Amino acid sequence: MIYDTVIELNGLKRHYDVGGETVKALDGVDLSIGRGEYVSLIGPSGSGKTTLFNMIGGLDRPTGGSVLIDSVDISKLDAYELAWLRCRRIGYIFQSFNLISILTALENVALPTVFAGTPHDEGIRKARKLLESVGLGERLNHKPMQLSAGQQQRVAIARALANDPAIILADEPTGNLDLNTGTEIIDLLHGLNKTRGLTLVAATHDLKMIKASDRVVWMRDGKVEKIERGTIPINITQKTEKEP
Amino acid sequence: MKAGDKRVHLGYAEALRLGNIQLLRRLDRSALNIASIALGLSFYASLLLTDTIYRTYESLGGANVSVEATYYWLVAIALTVSVVGITNAMLISVQERVKEIGTMKCLGALDRHIVLLFLIEALLQGLVGGVIGYAIGLIAAILSTGFSAGYDIILKVPAAQNLTLFASSLALAVALSTTATIYPAYRASKLDPVEALRYDL
Repeated sequence: MIYDTVIELNGLKRHYDVGGETVKALDGVDLSIGRGEYVSLIGPSGSGKTTLFNMIGGLDRPTGGSVLIDSVDISKLDAYELAWLRCRRIGYIFQSFNLISILTALENVALPTVFAGTPHDEGIRKARKLLESVGLGERLNHKPMQLSAGQQQRVAIARALANDPAIILADEPTGNLDLNTGTEIIDLLHGLNKTRGLTLVAATHDLKMIKASDRVVWMRDGKVEKIERGTIPINITQKTEKEP
Repeated sequence: MKAGDKRVHLGYAEALRLGNIQLLRRLDRSALNIASIALGLSFYASLLLTDTIYRTYESLGGANVSVEATYYWLVAIALTVSVVGITNAMLISVQERVKEIGTMKCLGALDRHIVLLFLIEALLQGLVGGVIGYAIGLIAAILSTGFSAGYDIILKVPAAQNLTLFASSLALAVALSTTATIYPAYRASKLDPVEALRYDL
């Protein structure tokens, strides 16, 4: 393929042993995702979406097959390199936001920069800019509980961007939001994908998210059932050829 | 990915900043730990100070009074109880922060960063508890010896001796607090982020 592959899954398997019975959370997934691509994952609960996320994010180790991020097999990385990968290359967005309750919005967004070794002042400056860019410039010193669900998810998005990752993994990012707020979050994510060239992989049930994506991956029983183009088709080859 | 620069960090300054935030914004829980250390330590400091005061009194020509040895056993028990109390409180703390720890690991924290964060928090609690405990112990010692040796006798205790006692009390408080937190911190650091993020309180 001409375009630059950023995530490559080859025969990815993850089996769990639950009470002597083998649960096949992932059972041979092959998928490659290009740089700057927006991919939606759909499937019933238990189809392996979250496990797939954990694999791409280096949080979990495969039983079989491989995960390649930037052509590096992440099962060969040690704990330090995996932490670096999570810190610098991947931004996580969760359904339940997972902000740290005792930290302000600004401190939450600056937290990943701490682990990246960014000097304190620079991290705070960056966090402020990111919060302003997601429309929360007036809410810097609010704690998560003082923010609405939509605002909390914006903080989480800003935090995911703190170390300029190449990949954003979003697990049901609109799952806890109402219709309007959900649409705003989708627009925000879609905008980031287009303007920053971020690779966005999102698990979702939300039809609006699916419509905005380049490709839709249907999962069932730990396997890829089918892959469709999103309803806004984008020629990936053309798009990425423009990039340096 | 380039080799060689693949490192995550947590500097002591940042760990201290985060530990301080934990201490101040989870004041109820940290106050309990601080109180536990302060109580055990005030007993310890008051005994040592009483002993020092009596010896000063004796060297100034006063009668020979001494602290009974059995009290030291009681101090040892009091300090053990406070260590167990802190371990227990910290284990509950870890349970409360499962998601927080999982999130931090997701953001790039290493196991030892989690350990460092908990130990720094314990160190701060130990310092505060130590200062408070020493102050209470000092007051108790002055009050208990004042009747026989005079309330101003503390001023006659050599400054170096007083300072050494203060320093050793603080060191003990910090040592106890961090020792009590080793196991909870280890437990926290070994949390599997996948499990931790799925965890609901």
